[in-house]
Amino acid sequence: MEMIVRQEDQSVVVSVNGRMDAVTASQFDKRLETLMAEGALHIIVNFRDLEYISSAGLQTILATAKKLENINGEILLANLSGAVKEVFEISGFDTIFRIFDTEDAALASI
Amino acid sequence: MIKLPALLSNLEKWITPISEFLKGDGLCKQNVTHIELALEEALVNVCRYAYQPGQGDIEVRYQVLDNHRYLIEIVDSGVPFDVCTLPTPELKACISERKVGGLGVHIIRKMADEMTYRREGDCNILRLIFQAAPKQNDGVTPFQPCA
Repeated sequence: MEMIVRQEDQSVVVSVNGRMDAVTASQFDKRLETLMAEGALHIIVNFRDLEYISSAGLQTILATAKKLENINGEILLANLSGAVKEVFEISGFDTIFRIFDTEDAALASI
Repeated sequence: MIKLPALLSNLEKWITPISEFLKGDGLCKQNVTHIELALEEALVNVCRYAYQPGQGDIEVRYQVLDNHRYLIEIVDSGVPFDVCTLPTPELKACISERKVGGLGVHIIRKMADEMTYRREGDCNILRLIFQAAPKQNDGVTPFQPCA
């Protein structure tokens, strides 16, 4: 799995690609922790090029969302499709997060 | 059969050969991903909880059954634990009220068509069966391509 981080005016966009499993999710978790430590309040995760996610990735997203919520921040999700979208849906994550069809739509919502 | 120490760092060594076998057997990407997900969640549970404290192995057995069905068994010799008894996690709670964790077994249940547990001697055996889409029109089963 690879991550590309881009700073926008009021948010940070993290684009992930490849496979987020129980091993690679810890890299994602550390990156999000670092971004929050640096002051990120609004984090957009772009899943366009992610082909696989298991519960470890979902746990990282939920844990980050809880921390951001406590400081009036938010994690926004964009570009879910295929198996990634399916895992979000069966876990009920599609109803507790703001999910956008595109990264631009997520950026515009902040 | 693939038998390795129960370490997360071995995850790929169980999953990749089985994925390659399934792809080689003609399964579509969606079916392969469903099996990978269930297998990963089952393996992670054993790696994290079966041998604490201590170390042990996980054996993964896989077999093609009839009617496009695939059998996967995850075998460990850790503490007796029937994952099938775990309740379904709360799926509708808001972010602040939702528990982090507990989704792995839920994902296994959703991905597998059958999930059963048995204890044999000193071993926990989680038996998963997956119904794959027919590989091609065999003249008997209506062809239903993956979504």
